[in-house]
Amino acid sequence: MRAAAIVLGQELRDLWLGGRALTLSLAFSVLLSVLAYLVATNSALNFLEQRETVNLTLQVAVAVGALLALLTAADAISGERERRTLETLLLTPVSRLEIVGGKLAAALSLWFAAFAIVIAYVWFLGRGVGIAGDALTSGIVVGTLLAIFLASLGILISLFAPSNRVSLSLSLFLLLALFAPTQLPSGATSGWAGDLLLRVNPVTAGEHYIGRIVVNGRGWSEDVAWLASPVVAAAMFAALALAVGARQLSLRGGASA
Amino acid sequence: MTHTVEANAVGKRYGELIALEDLSFAADQGEILGVLGPNGAGKTTAIRILTTILEPTHGTFSVAGVPHTRPAEIRRRTGVLPESAGYPERQTAAEYLRYQARLFGRSRAAAHTTAAALLDEVGLADRGRSLIGTYSRGMRQRLGIARALVNEPQVVVLDEPTLGLDPAGQRQMLGIIRRIAGERGATVLLCTHLLAEVEETCTRVLILNRGRAVAQGTVAEVGARAAAPRTATIRIAPEDAERARTALSPLHVELTGGTLRVSLDGAARNEPLRRLVDASIDVRSYELEAARLSDAFLAMTEAAA
Repeated sequence: MRAAAIVLGQELRDLWLGGRALTLSLAFSVLLSVLAYLVATNSALNFLEQRETVNLTLQVAVAVGALLALLTAADAISGERERRTLETLLLTPVSRLEIVGGKLAAALSLWFAAFAIVIAYVWFLGRGVGIAGDALTSGIVVGTLLAIFLASLGILISLFAPSNRVSLSLSLFLLLALFAPTQLPSGATSGWAGDLLLRVNPVTAGEHYIGRIVVNGRGWSEDVAWLASPVVAAAMFAALALAVGARQLSLRGGASA
Repeated sequence: MTHTVEANAVGKRYGELIALEDLSFAADQGEILGVLGPNGAGKTTAIRILTTILEPTHGTFSVAGVPHTRPAEIRRRTGVLPESAGYPERQTAAEYLRYQARLFGRSRAAAHTTAAALLDEVGLADRGRSLIGTYSRGMRQRLGIARALVNEPQVVVLDEPTLGLDPAGQRQMLGIIRRIAGERGATVLLCTHLLAEVEETCTRVLILNRGRAVAQGTVAEVGARAAAPRTATIRIAPEDAERARTALSPLHVELTGGTLRVSLDGAARNEPLRRLVDASIDVRSYELEAARLSDAFLAMTEAAA
């Protein structure tokens, strides 16, 4: 695992000192600032109850933070292929598993940075109702599970994508598809089929869990079943990404990978 | 004696497409083996198999005494400059080499020392702290050579190392390659399109065409095997010229004063000399035009086409 740590260190340097992650984090901060300002001060939008405001901000942060992790992972392999730097990495004695593991961990750093940024916003918006602690705890749990799931998905796509553009486009499309049910009207998700849809989709299940904690004030264990699909998806996709990467990481993407 | 690099009937297929078929060769310590072939001949496939980037469909090989079934160990003992390798534009050369050395198991301090020494060796010491993005093509190639040496490899594989370099850069690169074999004692596999480069640098040559090895041996041996027509230049007394033409018939002869240029056209290399001696003609000199590697290369690759 020492080699994985070396790969991780270099990936983090590339991401953060290279400026890409900093730029994305800055954009994320601007987005959160605009959102927080609007929900807190705008007379047309601040009709939300304070808990709803915290919930909205946290859910956007989780969604965008996971998106950043996904896009970074989607670029991790296919991007190196296109930049012609992957072959040099494959020529070292470092195992494929360690290379993929290091890249996956580096992609997760985007989520943790996003979470670090959102702490101040949630604390500010949640002051007075004593919800900041619970909100942040649920946010880090759900966000980390979703980031692991989505970053692993991004790595898998990147392993097989014939080009970096395809990898990024497909990842973004899948993310939108996973988030789409969160935008459905509540009537569309009622009944057993709607409930099943929300529970099976790790993204909607995770966001629903945050809502139950933050908005409804439920206890941690009362709705823990909603965490089942995020936990299973994170564990399953992380294991799959590492296992497939260890065998299939190669110079060629597409069907021949 | 165990060869440093040994391939036995190595092949690679992609479905119906045969990229490499039954490649067998050996190379020894300190040797520079030129791997030649036209585009699509299988050079890069062969190199990627030997460097464990690709798995062979069949056959076996060993590098530095390590069998192909232990790819990580082979990579530990091999240095490679891939064709058109990419470099991280936002890293300095020193950072890049330190990272590569760390991937080969060097400690932080050892990686630092190795990077500095290699930058000096390839003539980049004064630019080691510059971003690679500011490097010229030649500097990147030299950096690639340095990267190939971070693990003090027993075998160095260079795929088109002089591609895109100006003549001065090519000369400098060939000098570095000779030093790798001569001073470090590494076996060098030099994959190139440039025949002059091989004639100048390599001790032995392997010619590939359409995935097959069509010739191998020393440069002189392979050149001598060329099926290309060769010429003998013979000097005789001018008054013997017509008798000589008759004696040499039906070989094609160009006569200029007392100098005959005879196309051998498949005849034995000393056949004209034998005929002139049999005809009691005084031969003042007899020179065979040296067979060139380019003749061999063209003859062998065109014959197989």
